[in-house]
Amino acid sequence: MTTYTLRSKRRRAALRTAAFLSPWLIGFSVFFAYPLISTVYFSFMKYDGIRPPVFDGLDNWTYVFNDYPMFWPAVRNTLWLVLVMVTCRVAFGLGVGLLITKIKTGAGVFRTLFYLPYLAPPVAATLAFVFLLNPGTGPVNSILESVGISAPGWFTDPTWSKPALTALAVWGVGDLMVIFMAALLDVPKEQYEASKLDGASSWQQFRFITLPNISPIVLFAVVTGVIQAMQYYTQPLVAGKVASGVIGGSGQQFEPGYPEKSTLTLPQIIYNAGFQRFDYGAAAVIAVVLFALSMVFTAFLMRSRGGLIRVGD
Amino acid sequence: MTTTLDKPSKPTAKAPRTAAHRTARRKALLHWIAVHSLGVAAALFFVLPFVFIFLTSLMGGQQTLTRDLIPTTWEWGNYAKVFDTPGFLTWWKNTLLYAGLGTVLTVVSSIPVAYALAKFRFRGQRLAMMLVISMMMLPPQVIIIPMYLFWAKELDLAGSLWPLIIPMAFGDAFAIFLLRQFLLTIPGEYLDSARVDGCGELRILLRVVLPMAKPGIAAVALFQFFFAWNDYFGPQIYASENPAAWTLSYGLESFKGAHHTDWNLTMAATILVMAPVILVFFFAQKAFVEGVTLTGVKG
Amino acid sequence: MSTRTRKAAATLAATAAIALLATACTGSAENEAEDDPKANTTLTFWHGWSAPSEVKAIQENVKRFEAAHKNIKVKIVGNMTDDKINQALRAGGSSAPDVVSSFSTTTVGQFCSSGAFVDLNSYLKKSKIDPTKVFHKPLLDYTQFDGNQCTLPLLSDAYGLYYNKDAFKAAGITEPPKTWSELTEIAQKLTKPKGAGFEQLGFMPNYHGYETSTSHYLSQWSPTYFDAAGKSNIAKDPAFARMMTYQKGLVDKLGGYAKLEKYRNTFGDEWGAKHPFHTGQVAMQLDGEWRLGMAKDAGVKFEIGTAPLPVADDQIADYGKGYLAGTIVGIASTSKKKNAAWELVKYMTTDTAAVVAFSNGIRNVPSTIEALKSPDLKIDPAFKTFVDIAQHPKSNTSPANIDGGSYHTTLSDLAYQYEAGRVKDLQAGLEKAAKQIDTDIAKLK
Repeated sequence: MTTYTLRSKRRRAALRTAAFLSPWLIGFSVFFAYPLISTVYFSFMKYDGIRPPVFDGLDNWTYVFNDYPMFWPAVRNTLWLVLVMVTCRVAFGLGVGLLITKIKTGAGVFRTLFYLPYLAPPVAATLAFVFLLNPGTGPVNSILESVGISAPGWFTDPTWSKPALTALAVWGVGDLMVIFMAALLDVPKEQYEASKLDGASSWQQFRFITLPNISPIVLFAVVTGVIQAMQYYTQPLVAGKVASGVIGGSGQQFEPGYPEKSTLTLPQIIYNAGFQRFDYGAAAVIAVVLFALSMVFTAFLMRSRGGLIRVGD
Repeated sequence: MTTTLDKPSKPTAKAPRTAAHRTARRKALLHWIAVHSLGVAAALFFVLPFVFIFLTSLMGGQQTLTRDLIPTTWEWGNYAKVFDTPGFLTWWKNTLLYAGLGTVLTVVSSIPVAYALAKFRFRGQRLAMMLVISMMMLPPQVIIIPMYLFWAKELDLAGSLWPLIIPMAFGDAFAIFLLRQFLLTIPGEYLDSARVDGCGELRILLRVVLPMAKPGIAAVALFQFFFAWNDYFGPQIYASENPAAWTLSYGLESFKGAHHTDWNLTMAATILVMAPVILVFFFAQKAFVEGVTLTGVKG
Repeated sequence: MSTRTRKAAATLAATAAIALLATACTGSAENEAEDDPKANTTLTFWHGWSAPSEVKAIQENVKRFEAAHKNIKVKIVGNMTDDKINQALRAGGSSAPDVVSSFSTTTVGQFCSSGAFVDLNSYLKKSKIDPTKVFHKPLLDYTQFDGNQCTLPLLSDAYGLYYNKDAFKAAGITEPPKTWSELTEIAQKLTKPKGAGFEQLGFMPNYHGYETSTSHYLSQWSPTYFDAAGKSNIAKDPAFARMMTYQKGLVDKLGGYAKLEKYRNTFGDEWGAKHPFHTGQVAMQLDGEWRLGMAKDAGVKFEIGTAPLPVADDQIADYGKGYLAGTIVGIASTSKKKNAAWELVKYMTTDTAAVVAFSNGIRNVPSTIEALKSPDLKIDPAFKTFVDIAQHPKSNTSPANIDGGSYHTTLSDLAYQYEAGRVKDLQAGLEKAAKQIDTDIAKLK
């Protein structure tokens, strides 16, 4: 074979690869690279969408970090969600996953029932929970109060709105349950049997056999949970809007983060700054911050050695 | 041995009545009871919300303002009323367009990309994969300002769902990722033997890989369909200004406020938005669960 | 729709190239209107009404316009919020509106200063209309910003007190309250607790109790929101602290914040038939003039009384004043049919017969001087209360600002925390809020 044909063969292979990748190459340029660069550009501009953009130095940046009243509440809420909601979801997902592997009678029915809420469309599920937890007429408080427990205001009370969102998130834990279930079934049976001969208790089995075996999956669930928490948008927004009673009735603007900014998250304040205040510059700053945070955790997911998603072969 | 431990076996006359045996059996029974009562408790937690909203959806308007749990009159007509509210059928039509067309475009455009990423060898492959994952993890809000300006000001497509559908013709990162994970599980020998027979890569993809990748494609299609069905942010940004372009998820949120209805009709509408997803799930349960598992499995 | 589909298909092919070349940041307001108002055309008109009776009234109003202008067809889109209006005014394009109406007079500053709406002064001049002869001054004030008359009033709203006469009779009360102390007293008398809630509540004082918002309360203390230099005045003018202290006291006396919030969550929709005032859940309600028509439509059984809102105890001489606002209407600067759009705006806002007919239909207060005097105006005594409030010299509104009402959000945020008891030091809270308002406005300048 001459070098010439080898080179042309290589070129043909490269062209073929490019052809197969072409939809994504276009998508990547138009819907990822270009808007990202543009967002960074806007973060240094004063722009309201009507008058032409003007260079504004670091004004947007100092405004967002020092003066924008919704930024730090959104950051604090996100931290809360990461600590509490993610923990609850992983613990509950693991618990239900374990339970389902132990259930012998009607396992299929149980699995389907446990999984169903995950499928409920977020807007529908949130509406349902705002109704269920409505302090006035909701069934949950009716039941709690009929047994003498004084029930909180849930979505209408700033201290209880995030726990209410956590309840909603835990209700839809079906995705984690399935992942954990698969991981649990992959744990080699021999290890359990061997330990049983050694007289290990079920707690010891869980601690020394189950956990080490599934720990990569737990870590995966935690990291993706953190990323999801940072991107949390539809549920808190819809919950706040519906619970405040202001949902598009007669021209009223909704109140972001109702009650008292307790349900604000970073994506929501991008919407608030960009599409309620029409300060595209400030919105772009928040977008850059959110992007950087998301990428830190994504990089963590991808670290090739010990990483959770292997990108190589 | 495991069966006797896990299942409560009925005591039979033949069983030897040693004390050790009895305690073991009693322990097994207690274990069964404990596990299954926990299961029932968990099931109640997962199912009761559906039950309550279903009951409320059948109440009369006056009763939803009370704390009653069970309807005094069963108003099945509530569902007809929801269908009669202006726009509800349009939302259905739009959602089906967005979810249906979007799914087809995503699958068609993502398969070749996933195939190249899984089965070709080329420079920058690792980088490409990292970028796909980064795109997958990118919150849509991050790029919304330039994207909105692009669709609305440059292309005059605000007030429609096209800004959401058109990008799906250029590969979806999640679909690419998931399909690649699936294609990795197809042994290379199949492809090699096809190559030896002189097949081009496109023919291999269509004739050899696609038939084997059906479960993966089904999972991707389902995920994409559900994504579009559930999407709230996209329609909120692009379709909100034109009620003729609203989708179910977007319309449902403003249902209570815009139509001044009470919880009964709102819950009936909620059920009507949940129902199709759950029905689709029952028909495609296996593909779906496989897909979820695939997302959590190392590649 | 089919043109849109074609366009989308073409876009699909060209997306990549365009995106890479596009610099998505052009957009200057064009003010020249070149279209021929006599040509056949279709206008898009957006409004925010959503209650069925109101939607019907605005549709009839537009139909009358179409009958008088055979060449212009109007496509009506309802239930639009200010977010969506602002968004569409920026996007322009085929689905964007030509004529827009909004309920938020506080947004006018943003609409005018950003150039989202065209300045109507030149149109008024062209049509030889002197706005000061057509509209009362407060209405002109809230429709313009810094001399830019970018909107005109489309009927106006006055806020007063509704009371359930039957409930008053049962409690032995003969007169509606004139001062806030009287209101507290009467509200307590009318309140009948039941279990953890109420059988009947005298008055729902919480800020989320539908129209009992900060600005609607505040008008009764005649506040000054901004000082002469344009700085927030909320920490200096005692009106703000007094109003919030009063409201908090009322909340505490009627059962406390938590109990009232819980009760509030049993209310039906504000714009639906099961409004708590209609159902008798509350005996008094702060509300706009439209409630009268809605209560009648809902078939309310008891007799409804109307009165101006109470005033601060030391301002008894001002009794009769109230909060004023109104629907405003303007022409989008992205519109390609501004002259035709002006025909619609001119008709709806200045034609006496049109204003009177629309007022009778939607039960809002007419916005022109001529219409207020018109013999065709249907005024019953209950409605006259609001016509009088609208003309009271001390009636007031919240001023327009370039931040589009963000200053109001900041103030309300503090008010929510104060009523819930989460902010104790009111003065410190007001000072912090004032600083926030000043920073937000400086950012936009």
